[in-house]
Amino acid sequence: MKTEQLIDMLARGIEPAERPCWARRLALMLVVGLLAAALLVVLGFGVRPDIGAAPMPVMLKALFSAAAAAAILPLAVQLMKPGRPLGWRIGAIGMFVGVCTLAAIVALMGETPRERLQAWTGGGFPWCLVLVPILAAPSAALLFWLMRDFAPTRLGPTGAAIGALSGGIGAMAYSMYCPVDSLAFVTTWYVVAIALCAALGAIVGSKLLRW
Amino acid sequence: MADEPELRGLLLKSLAGDEAAHRAFLSAAAGLLRGYFRNRLRGAPEDAEDLLQETLVALHTRRDSYDASYPLTAWMYAIARYRLIDHLRRSRRRTHASLDDFEFGNDDPEFVASDARRDVATLLDKLPEKQRTAIRLVKLEEKSVREAATQTGLTESDIKISIHRGMKALTRLMAEAGAT
Repeated sequence: MKTEQLIDMLARGIEPAERPCWARRLALMLVVGLLAAALLVVLGFGVRPDIGAAPMPVMLKALFSAAAAAAILPLAVQLMKPGRPLGWRIGAIGMFVGVCTLAAIVALMGETPRERLQAWTGGGFPWCLVLVPILAAPSAALLFWLMRDFAPTRLGPTGAAIGALSGGIGAMAYSMYCPVDSLAFVTTWYVVAIALCAALGAIVGSKLLRW
Repeated sequence: MADEPELRGLLLKSLAGDEAAHRAFLSAAAGLLRGYFRNRLRGAPEDAEDLLQETLVALHTRRDSYDASYPLTAWMYAIARYRLIDHLRRSRRRTHASLDDFEFGNDDPEFVASDARRDVATLLDKLPEKQRTAIRLVKLEEKSVREAATQTGLTESDIKISIHRGMKALTRLMAEAGAT
């Protein structure tokens, strides 16, 4: 078929394009992903036993995770469609990570040397590195599925953004389980866990997002 | 050669359902993109034409991913660049796989350099029955959606969805056919 014939064929009988409500569908995916992750925490790991006695730290950690997701969202939205400028949206993420690093350092300076390691690692392996990616999986699956209707052209970065966004959502749910409340712990390991989700997303994305 | 405001005007009209504007947009885009692909695939003009056709189908099926508040050419070339990268990735894999039994083809005097290598019409046969029928009736036999619906016993929205899905699947088939 010649290119002119192809163009004729494509143009023949087109209808007005429906304005797809991307924003609403994206919001829906994020809410469903969050609910799925929360359900996973409640039924799978069990919420921390003292959640009734410590609503503040749980709230704060959930808010922190939501802020992380919010910092990633503008970049993710741009990457999902072809040829959008990224600009300040990368800076927003850099700023968030910068503030977190600073907060962790300041918080650790305030500890006595003996308590410093305990405050930083929560006295053991930071399990959020394993559990946050697991909790991010439902959101990531939904977002990758949603992406079939978009046309991402930078697959690796788009996958990373989807991973990180899902990581933020997963971390929100994780805060109901997480027993460590120290500021340095959260601003370090939650961020590392989300970065890990981004790396996984980049690997998966460059395969799964092809169209 | 068409420029940004002109192309943008055409695409916005085509998004509103204007067939003539859509045809004009695709033709203008084809003119620009043919040069783009030929520059990047020197010595393989028929690959360039294949990629051009693949990209036109992609621009067509993904036209709703264009947002009027951003530049049109950035959108268009992002899709073209993506199709090119996808093509290069596939052909690299092909080269690795088939170095041993590589055969040189004979010169074909009938061959016109600007022809596409693969035939889109043949690829349409690979689509699922329903999508193939819907595309054949509306896009090739120039029937209206309503006529196609009566003839097949499907609903009109069924026909429209089948065409849309079929066209999206076609991009994929074209890319895969280019790699064999």
